[in-house]
Amino acid sequence: MFEKMKKDFTTMTWVLIPVAIAINIAVGQIVVLLKLPVYLDSIGTVLVGIICGPWAGALTGALSNTIWGLFNPDSLPWWPVAFFIGLVAGLCANAGWFKSWPKVILSGFLIALTAAIVSTPISVYLYGGITASGSSFITAYLLQTGQGVLSAVLSTGFLVEPVDKITTAMLAFAIVQGLSKRLLARFPRPENAEVEQGSSSSQLVTALIVAVVVIALGFFVRNMLAG
Amino acid sequence: MRERLSYYIKRDSALHRLNPLTKIILTLGILLVSLISPGYWTAHALLIFAIVPLSFLGRIWREFFSSAIRLIIPAAGFIFLMQAFFQPLGETVIFKFWVLDVTQESLAFAFRISTRITVMISAFTLFLLTTHPSELMSDLTRRGLPGQFAYVIISSLQILPQMQSKARTIISAQRSRGLDTESTFLCRVGSIVPLVGPLVFGSLVEVEERAIAIEARGFTSTHVKTSLHEIADTKFDKTLRWVLLALVILSLVWKIWQL
Repeated sequence: MFEKMKKDFTTMTWVLIPVAIAINIAVGQIVVLLKLPVYLDSIGTVLVGIICGPWAGALTGALSNTIWGLFNPDSLPWWPVAFFIGLVAGLCANAGWFKSWPKVILSGFLIALTAAIVSTPISVYLYGGITASGSSFITAYLLQTGQGVLSAVLSTGFLVEPVDKITTAMLAFAIVQGLSKRLLARFPRPENAEVEQGSSSSQLVTALIVAVVVIALGFFVRNMLAG
Repeated sequence: MRERLSYYIKRDSALHRLNPLTKIILTLGILLVSLISPGYWTAHALLIFAIVPLSFLGRIWREFFSSAIRLIIPAAGFIFLMQAFFQPLGETVIFKFWVLDVTQESLAFAFRISTRITVMISAFTLFLLTTHPSELMSDLTRRGLPGQFAYVIISSLQILPQMQSKARTIISAQRSRGLDTESTFLCRVGSIVPLVGPLVFGSLVEVEERAIAIEARGFTSTHVKTSLHEIADTKFDKTLRWVLLALVILSLVWKIWQL
């Protein structure tokens, strides 16, 4: 297993990781600027997971939160969540679930479940369930209705994460499909991104449309629940 | 969107002269003790008797207070309010606000959690103010950390500001072409693509060139490289590291004792 891991860490991988970290942070900030109800701060992590394997993705996630922690220390304790996002994205890609957009929805959903489960103990132990993020209002509401801390945090995660992570997976998939075949072939796992049917450009366009629809859907469902 | 990435301030002080590894262990030690120890006042005591005196020792107290306050007041304040109002703890109601009531217990809990956050942020700020990232990396590489890790961290720190300025350029360019980034929800969602696309593809294209460049400079070579900078590691550093480790273990024992 160690040898297999080593094969994923080529020079291209080591050079891609810092770029992916910067993509995570820069895109996260663009999304804040656009005032959208998602974070989209792990696109780079998922991207590395797809084309460089699960362990490279996991490393990107963990380091990304550490480096973000340099100017936003609040993101530091969440590094295990980012670690598992990269790992699961890579495992999904190895299983062939980043080859067409319907499968990417499934991958995004799996990533979301992982993120919700991994973040729960951190949130409960470190913050008693109520963190600095906006979704804590849902947790607080559930706590007031008499639910236990663990189940309140976990259900909030299951409610909030899918929209964010499915969009993230879709955008990462679209980016991979947009890369030239020549550049893609230089990374350790180009076969993870080969499309099964149709051209990669049609997959790209569909993925972008699906991403926009998912965000819009999440927004309207949330408004309906609030109203 | 513009943030300063390196907090490091060059001064001559006892704290600056410590070995970088000692400083990172000091930071992690303070963090872990405040998280693990079951005592209610541990985090408060650490803040007053360890972190604040250290900032004076490092002669960076002015910068420390200004940046710590800028980071802490929003984070810890928000968490304090959320916890005080929403934690369904205790019976002794202090005051009621609409359907939410603040009890003595939830207030105590809120105070503890927000102090923990304060300790976390301020310990980390202290570390960043007194340690240069490349000094830390070269010390860790000398101790056996693979050079690739050092490359990833240092180059992320360099790429990030470039990427942020590129993002600003793209945003202004697309706005000047009439891209709507501020009106209705659907317009804002739609503008993700023209903003993120150029940024991501532009930076991914550079990856291959950079890989070839560092490959040509012996990036994957496994030979031991000599360093230009000597980083001091005194006897005091070594003792301090063991003391800190002992403190962390001690608080762990205390925690298990309490169970």
